[in-house]
Amino acid sequence: MDTVTTLLQLVLSGVLVGSVYGLTAMGFVVAYRNARVFNIAYGQFAVLGAFLAWTFLGSPQSPRLPLAVAVVLTLLAVVAFGLAVERLLFRRMIGRPLFASFVLSLGLLAFLHGVIMIAWGPSTKVLAAAVPTGPLALGDVVVSREFVWSFAIALAATIGFALFFRFTRLGLAMRAAYDNEVAARCLGASASLNSQITWVLSAVIAAVGGILMATVSGVSIGLSELVMVVLAVVLIGGMDSLAGCVLGGLILAVGTNLTGYYLSPLLPGIAGIFSMLLILGVLVIRPTGLLGSRPIERV
Amino acid sequence: MRRRGRGRTDYARDLALVSSGQQWLALAVLALVLGLLPLLLAWTGNRSWLTFTNFTLITIIAVIGLNVTTGMAGLVSLGHSAFIMVGGYLAALLMLEAGWSFWAALPAATLMTGVVGLVVAAPAIRLKGFYVAIVTLAFFFIAQFILRSLDITGGIHGLIGIPSPVIGGLRIRTDQHWYYLLLVVGVLCVLASANLTRSRMGRAFLAIRENDVAAAGLGINVPLTRLRAFFVGSLFAGLAGGLWASYVSVIRLDQFTIWDSIWYLGMIVIGGGGKTAGAVVGVLFLRLIGQVLHVIGTSGWIPLSSNLAIYITHTVYGLAVILFVSFWPLGLMSVWQKIRVNYKRWPFGV
Amino acid sequence: MSESDPVLVGEDIHLSFDGVRALDGVNVSIQRGRIVSIIGPNGAGKTCLVNCITGYYRPQRGRILLEGRDIVSLGPHRVARLGVVRTFQDPTTYPNMTALDILTAGRYLKTGASLLHSMLYFGRSRREEIASRRLVEEVISFVHIEHLRRLPVAMMSYGDRKQVEIARALVMEPRLLILDEPMSGLDEAMKEVVSDLIMSVFKQGVTIVLVEHDMQAVMELSHSIIVLDFGQKVAEGTPAEIIRDPRVTEAYLGGIAGIVAETGESG
Repeated sequence: MDTVTTLLQLVLSGVLVGSVYGLTAMGFVVAYRNARVFNIAYGQFAVLGAFLAWTFLGSPQSPRLPLAVAVVLTLLAVVAFGLAVERLLFRRMIGRPLFASFVLSLGLLAFLHGVIMIAWGPSTKVLAAAVPTGPLALGDVVVSREFVWSFAIALAATIGFALFFRFTRLGLAMRAAYDNEVAARCLGASASLNSQITWVLSAVIAAVGGILMATVSGVSIGLSELVMVVLAVVLIGGMDSLAGCVLGGLILAVGTNLTGYYLSPLLPGIAGIFSMLLILGVLVIRPTGLLGSRPIERV
Repeated sequence: MRRRGRGRTDYARDLALVSSGQQWLALAVLALVLGLLPLLLAWTGNRSWLTFTNFTLITIIAVIGLNVTTGMAGLVSLGHSAFIMVGGYLAALLMLEAGWSFWAALPAATLMTGVVGLVVAAPAIRLKGFYVAIVTLAFFFIAQFILRSLDITGGIHGLIGIPSPVIGGLRIRTDQHWYYLLLVVGVLCVLASANLTRSRMGRAFLAIRENDVAAAGLGINVPLTRLRAFFVGSLFAGLAGGLWASYVSVIRLDQFTIWDSIWYLGMIVIGGGGKTAGAVVGVLFLRLIGQVLHVIGTSGWIPLSSNLAIYITHTVYGLAVILFVSFWPLGLMSVWQKIRVNYKRWPFGV
Repeated sequence: MSESDPVLVGEDIHLSFDGVRALDGVNVSIQRGRIVSIIGPNGAGKTCLVNCITGYYRPQRGRILLEGRDIVSLGPHRVARLGVVRTFQDPTTYPNMTALDILTAGRYLKTGASLLHSMLYFGRSRREEIASRRLVEEVISFVHIEHLRRLPVAMMSYGDRKQVEIARALVMEPRLLILDEPMSGLDEAMKEVVSDLIMSVFKQGVTIVLVEHDMQAVMELSHSIIVLDFGQKVAEGTPAEIIRDPRVTEAYLGGIAGIVAETGESG
């Protein structure tokens, strides 16, 4: 395979995977912007979604419920989870400093980790295909069909959210609440409804991201490392920017691919910490991320 | 007539850690119990309790450091176990490769780890709090990567045969010997931390934690003071790491996980962030719960695989952190304060 | 140095945020041993000016000379170290600390125990702690806040908090004391107390800059008044001159003369 094709291969698969990273990161940004919570348990949200999907859908060897039924049940379960998390945990945290809710999310991380492992065990499960699988050849470049489907779903979801936040009343109300909570409430936006929708949205997006990743790499607790990916994406793109997630996801995925191919022979394992190095680089050069908003310090 | 009030008759007494006859007595009793602890534990017939105590002492030393960085100065560090790891490896390398004695290697490793802490924190020190958390998290993985890749650190196999200290011809070999050594070091660390809280620097840490705009107005150089707090934290972590390396005599990457960092933070929150006593209490609380779960799991009352016990420990720890942050955010120390206040007021008012 | 040479001079200060001109070529001169008030409607730029002087904001253009030395590019902790101390309009900066804690924290610049000293305690740190406590107690008596010593700020009344904030500034032994709206939100009785306190502080020889809305206090206390409006200096002079200045009455609806004529009413 010549250099151009290789490059194209790496970039294309990077774009496909990066779109899923970007979509997953949006759930994190939603919680950060609207609930002002740095949710480090986000990775577990994704894993939980994937395991729930597996519970209802089954694996290729032993499928369980039909696709439509499984999707609906998974969605209901995830929504219920989001509501529970909001009501029991984070509603109490409204108005308390970021540090407190961060530590809460640390506790949640540990708690969910334990519960998921007790419920489903450490072995990797294969998720029954919700989308067509197999290789797809585009000229000389080969990609996985499931990745293309993931990309399509991620793209659709991204556009959907962009439209939601920009054009619907609810979306605008949520954005207003981020900028000025008191004023938004004066205008009639409900704080508790905002909180509930935020967490449900965050959980659902996490679940979708987790399921899409699980389609490719199987369902296991290892998926929770997705949170590191998400962190890298939001730092690159900007912690409060949804568009930044897309950009960050692409940069991270394509960058990891290129690093893995060209630098791994020299430094084995460098691809694994590429996201870390990228994080450090971004922090030094532009801490608020590429598309994040610059805070104005008022004394 | 029974003496009421605190009996502080001059400023020196007001500042002192132990200021009344009553408090001295309590301290003497505590010292006695701690001194005789190995004998008391031996009486139970179970040797693992002393080992548990020794590991707990090492954890206390490490967490006291984290308490300065996070509890007092408000800088969240998710990489604390990485600093312990670095301290351990440095001490091991100085002893194995450079042939240094324990008593030279330990302080050197401690200081070097402190400096590593400065280097890690520097890029993020002027930024908002959670950037420091992220940098420390990234550091954990990068540090593991570096240690795994170098030959001198033994890669994934780590280092073995780390020597133990010798005091005046006597080699510290048994758990009992180690207990007294760790106890002395632990007490010194507790004292240093307590002194910090009643001194100028400790106050500066608290000031930047609560409000860094106002702190600058007090004349405090906020970024520099944050670095100082971070330095102290990594210093103690390095000390704990060096002690660990020598105690276990083997050091390997898989002994240090990101979960440890999370537990340490949990201990600080549960104990009560900021106060030295809170950090100690937090460590004891989580460690004891973990030990109880471990004993239940291995005793066979409930059929548990060892993996399941770990998962249950995670779940319980996580639940504890969640409960404390939600209902008692100022930790066990604040609960204790409330009990004391109510005891003094009893039977009037609750 | 004569009594009337300037402690602080602000030359041609320009400050903008995202295109909004907060300060537009402001020149000020603060004479030693005087009480100088800075007044003006909300948004005139008073707090911005204070923030520039104390190093929180960096003006795009201009110089700020503290006894001849340009401090415009120094950060807040450096400015504080040079003796320029400011109070904050919102006195609830440390809600969980007691008055004693806050005042002792204010001794940071006047003590020198390092990290090592602090961890050892015995020796330098202990000596400094005892000496600091003595001085803090003097300030506590001076400001009459003995009853607030061990009370957390969150449990204090607003007036108490304001007093603690001024006491905190005094503990820092300022060369130049900048009070940012020390009377805002207080009732008449409390305003009297704070007014007397400012006078007592002045009698100790401290140069004071008073940013205030309360016209009666400003008229009574000031040696000279600087009026800002829309980021520009509109007038400067003695209280008598300022009352008569038409540009000033223009800046304030209703006019200062009218306000002062009615007893006890402030702007």
